[in-house]
Amino acid sequence: MKVKLSALTRVEGEGALELLLEEGRLKALKLEIYEPPRFIEALLKGKSYEYIPDITARICGICPVAYQFSSLQAIERAFDAFVPEEVERARRLMYYGEWIQSHALHIFFLHLPDFYRLPSIVELSRVHKELVLAGLDIKRAGSLILQKLGGRSSHPVSPVPGGFSYLPEDLSDLKSPLELALEKSLWVAEKLRELSFPNLELEGFVFVSLVEEDYPILKGDIYFEGRSIKPEEFKEYFVEEEVEYSTAKHARMKDGRPYLVGALSRLNNNFEKLSELAVKTALSLNLEPPLKNPYKSILVRLVEVVHALERAIELVDSYIKPPVSRVEIKPKRSEGVGISEAPRGILWHRYTFDEEGKVLSADIVPPTSQNQKAMELSLFKLLQGFEDFSEKLLRDVAEPMVRNFDPCISCATHFLRIRLKHV
Amino acid sequence: MKVGVFKFSSCDGCQLAFFELEEEFLSLAEVLSIEYFLEASSENRWTDFDLAFVEGSISTPEEEDRIRKIRENSKILIAIGACAVSGGIQSARNYEDFQEIFTGIYRGRVSFEIKPHSRPISDFVKVDLEIRGCPINREHLRNTIYSLLIGLRPELPAYPLCLECKRKGNACVVVSKGQLCLGPITCTGCGALCPSFGRGCYGCFGPSEKPNYEAFYEMARRLGIEEKELKVALRLSFNGYNPALREVL
Repeated sequence: MKVKLSALTRVEGEGALELLLEEGRLKALKLEIYEPPRFIEALLKGKSYEYIPDITARICGICPVAYQFSSLQAIERAFDAFVPEEVERARRLMYYGEWIQSHALHIFFLHLPDFYRLPSIVELSRVHKELVLAGLDIKRAGSLILQKLGGRSSHPVSPVPGGFSYLPEDLSDLKSPLELALEKSLWVAEKLRELSFPNLELEGFVFVSLVEEDYPILKGDIYFEGRSIKPEEFKEYFVEEEVEYSTAKHARMKDGRPYLVGALSRLNNNFEKLSELAVKTALSLNLEPPLKNPYKSILVRLVEVVHALERAIELVDSYIKPPVSRVEIKPKRSEGVGISEAPRGILWHRYTFDEEGKVLSADIVPPTSQNQKAMELSLFKLLQGFEDFSEKLLRDVAEPMVRNFDPCISCATHFLRIRLKHV
Repeated sequence: MKVGVFKFSSCDGCQLAFFELEEEFLSLAEVLSIEYFLEASSENRWTDFDLAFVEGSISTPEEEDRIRKIRENSKILIAIGACAVSGGIQSARNYEDFQEIFTGIYRGRVSFEIKPHSRPISDFVKVDLEIRGCPINREHLRNTIYSLLIGLRPELPAYPLCLECKRKGNACVVVSKGQLCLGPITCTGCGALCPSFGRGCYGCFGPSEKPNYEAFYEMARRLGIEEKELKVALRLSFNGYNPALREVL
């Protein structure tokens, strides 16, 4: 017998959940992703490298900057372009803007209603108005960074190969909204101490994140189990498998073990690199590595918001418009890899180019496809104790588990390997 | 007013404009009755809709059936964003060999049905209103909702970006930098963002009303841009399969 939740709600993109039951017991479970692929990598073939950042941004409306920056890093590495440090700092600031906005959207619009057993932020705002308004102040601060540096809060226009097409003279008007957001996020952290969390731990997962000079966001090596590997070595350690029921591939470690990317992994691998207030907030919420309860990811995202806000304020304070905001790019026949920490986890890009800088091949591995296996295993563990599998159970119990992973299904889908059934 | 927000092939970015309304989204939710919005609520009801906001392009047989069903159940259907209005970036494949898009790149088992072309909503059903952009501008969404609430037909700009760019006092990127800019044939509404940020417009609001392609092609020729190159830029303009643009591509 099959039980199905045909459309997942309060997640980014389109997915479904199907359970296979045998004599009333859970036998198997599939997280189906039916969002149609958009063949972004295939479309890039034969096009100039200049199109890559704006086109790959459209893989995801909630984390476009992650796509822009992973792809820019790959392009700049391929063509040996070195971006000045002050330009890199502006990129970092913009990326913090995306983290703040994306995390706030997920925490308040998508995830938090679960903890109050309410269907949406609208109902939540009726009973906890102040909490929701604080969330909007936090989100707004992130959006303002993106608007200031990139013109708009989704698909910003200024990131280009070599740097920025334009950078503002002055960023001081960002200061007070960022400070307000920081104050509000500390207050929200206090409030969220009241939440209760189901007792469930992810066992047997490898926590994978980047590692760099600071808490990872813009670049770095790939880190897991005490070792780090180069971005170029990604495919030697991690593999993707096609699965029949999903338009997104599943990833695993080469040795077969499942792994997890995203907020929980970043915190577990980089706790000591969080900003001062973020560490304090984490400790006040009893978050210490190794943290294995996926429900607590909402708190980890809040800790990351505190970190991002604190760092963003430092960057705004020290900002001086760089003398050169864009370095020249000289295309050549080459290959480049780029990796960064999207809000949902590591986002890996690799391109090969011909001598004019036209794309010969493009390969993108987004965070959600890497987490798909972890989501299924966690759902199985959660649901195997149940006996009455109604649609209501799936809505009330299974969906919140999926939201813990903050899946971005639009991202996961674009690159799938499928064959035509119908033309 | 019963409202539905629906998603087809897209990045989700235009639905986010509802969340971008921030506090106003919450107060609008008290006035409108939002019956179906998967990304916003875990309670969704299929009913008759006064307003249906549709994000995304049509690229599977299932989507084709679903958009027809939404049309039958909706009084006013509003296409939001470049995917719904023009077919989106994914419609660039309409100009390429679809088999080739797959060959050598895609393999594996058959999992579901996909169409060779990604098409705008208006290729299948009547669209009452369009909100342009990749992504849409939240002010346009706000303007549209408030106009409809008081029974007015929403007025969104349809004239070329150049006018807005001039009003902002930007130096023309074509003249001052010799860069290609799609502004002369692109609908305004973004705030002339790209030229304001030092680069040419890449067309994400789609063709303006009465675009003068002849003059535009002539401008590109003078910049030394080959027609082939120009066509690639238009196909990749996120609106390359807009009915007004596909004619000349």
